[in-house]
Amino acid sequence: MSFIELKSVVKRYGKHTVLQDVDLEVEKGEIIAIIGRSGSGKSTLLRCINGLEPVQGGEVWVDGVAVHDPSADLRELRARVGIVFQSFNLFPHLTVERNITLGPMIVKGMTADKAATLAREVLKKVGLEEKIKAYADELSGGQQQRVAIARSLAMSPSIMLFDEITSALDPELVGEVLLVLEAMARDGMTMLLVTHEMNFARRVANRVVFMNQGKVWEQGPAKDFFASPKTDELRSFLSSVLH
Amino acid sequence: MAYKFQFRDVFAQQDAIVDGLVLTLQLSAGTIFFGFVIGTLVATLLVYAKPWARGAAHAYVEVIRNTPLIVQLFLIFFGLPAIGIKLDVITASVIALTINLTAYTAEIVRAGIESIPKSQIETGISLGLTGPQVFRHVVFLPALKNVYPSLTSQFVLMMLATSVVSQISTAELFHVGSIIQSRTFRDFEVYSVIAVLYLCLSLLLRGGFSICYRIFFRKS
Amino acid sequence: MIRELAFQDVLYLVLAMRWTIVLTLLALSGGGVIGLLIAACGASRHVALRTFARAYVGTVQGIPLLAWLFIFYFGLSIVGYNLPPWIAATIGFSIYAGAFLGEIWRGALISIPKTQWEAALAIGLTYIEQLRYVIIPQAIRVAIPPTVGFMVQLIKNTSLAAVIGFVELTREGQLTTAATFQPFAVYLIVAALYFSLCYPLTRYSRALERKRRVVH
Repeated sequence: MSFIELKSVVKRYGKHTVLQDVDLEVEKGEIIAIIGRSGSGKSTLLRCINGLEPVQGGEVWVDGVAVHDPSADLRELRARVGIVFQSFNLFPHLTVERNITLGPMIVKGMTADKAATLAREVLKKVGLEEKIKAYADELSGGQQQRVAIARSLAMSPSIMLFDEITSALDPELVGEVLLVLEAMARDGMTMLLVTHEMNFARRVANRVVFMNQGKVWEQGPAKDFFASPKTDELRSFLSSVLH
Repeated sequence: MAYKFQFRDVFAQQDAIVDGLVLTLQLSAGTIFFGFVIGTLVATLLVYAKPWARGAAHAYVEVIRNTPLIVQLFLIFFGLPAIGIKLDVITASVIALTINLTAYTAEIVRAGIESIPKSQIETGISLGLTGPQVFRHVVFLPALKNVYPSLTSQFVLMMLATSVVSQISTAELFHVGSIIQSRTFRDFEVYSVIAVLYLCLSLLLRGGFSICYRIFFRKS
Repeated sequence: MIRELAFQDVLYLVLAMRWTIVLTLLALSGGGVIGLLIAACGASRHVALRTFARAYVGTVQGIPLLAWLFIFYFGLSIVGYNLPPWIAATIGFSIYAGAFLGEIWRGALISIPKTQWEAALAIGLTYIEQLRYVIIPQAIRVAIPPTVGFMVQLIKNTSLAAVIGFVELTREGQLTTAATFQPFAVYLIVAALYFSLCYPLTRYSRALERKRRVVH
């Protein structure tokens, strides 16, 4: 079985079916970019992988864990699957350091000293060591997003999920975040990114998945994906996005 | 020690209860009407008037909101005669209740007015409307709509607060309760019945305000 | 025998403020405990608990405070407890305050955006841990200004304890009026004393409202 495997996944909100029969396989170390129009189900797909959204049909297997099983204890898995959101979602009442050490100390039982060292390490990776004692509202959008990434990294995940993490940023702040992602990719992290940054996807991703109407409409190696779309829908999507 | 609840004695006094109920409703209606109208006027002072008028209105609102209703009532009914103004219980009650509600209404409506974004007002002015016209068409109704829940909650609270005027022997519902209690000695039963009646009144009043909302505000 | 309004009377009035403050603090404690319970039920995932909270708040808020005081004052003596006025008053105020505080605190809890819950869940925290480390600390900050504002209401509410005979500031005012026949001066002083308690709190609550560190 692949590292991440989705088989015939169905997800509904009330009467509205967001994911219809989605199949996807991801191997360890792969970097997948997920693109598509709003409403195509791409964010939902991501959120099904760490169990934030329960599925109504099909199977979701992540590193051997049956995420779709309602009785599954996902707490342990969530330590291994990091997720970064579009709106950063930092905890505003805690310092950057505490934001980062909260998970390791409570979920993994790490001591305060080890956690503090860990916080400094991950902040170094995202280039924000000096902000360790700051609060979220003292940081720019790009800095907050990098702290959010550091917070996820502190749990030593084997998979990182990114849900349109640059969409809420001013254009000049996007670059610093993408640099961090590129470094993670070089280190061999398994990454799934829902993104609008097509150039980034082409450069960094192994494979691109195009979602449309709740299905995996087309997927392929990043190199040729943007140059030679096979389906009309992908062609029209790319032309509207890449003028 | 077992106690037999005797509600029958209380229900035997139903005429008195109805009279009390009617007076409570009249006091509430009068207070809410005047409180709303004058309160809105004071609110416009708080927002638009010259500094000295704003200051005076602000002082009035702060004094009323930071002192208890019962003390205001006693000051008006017992205190004013000492400087020559003698009032009967009903007049004193209405004046005290209205002065009180006006202050709360003014604060709430003021907040509503200030919640209308400046861009709305600028749009109105750009269309050529005068200040008062802008207020009437762009500010006032949306402001009321925004604060409708707090405003109507305050009105319901005021209806319940009319019980306080029982302390100067105004014959509204709560005072009737005391009278029945002294006649029948059924303390607990009397006040339980009175409490349930108030509860019904407040539910009816809330329902009424809900319907008003749908009539006045759902068109836009 | 009528006597002149003397400095001594004013002193007694000022001293009576202690009881106003004591009663307020008692009501805050009792009401706080009830309020926590009601807020927890009101914000819970279970419909039955939420309904219970709504029913409690709706019933308590739909009945005048005077009625609650009288019900506990007379009701408890029926069940065999002959309680002094201050205990009946405390229970009545606590029940009343509990409903209002419960509503304020429930509002604070549900004002925390869903995204905070998600972020906490995503790093592996359990429901209780999410509440303890992420949600409740933020909810407390949101709840403080309206809670301080409500304390002003409580102080004013204690004036009704006078009606069941508890000697706090208002009752002391009534007694002083009876002795000096100077209602205008006496009640003016009483009002001023209440103002001196309430106004600073009102200002403080407004200042708190202005500086809050919350999620945008």
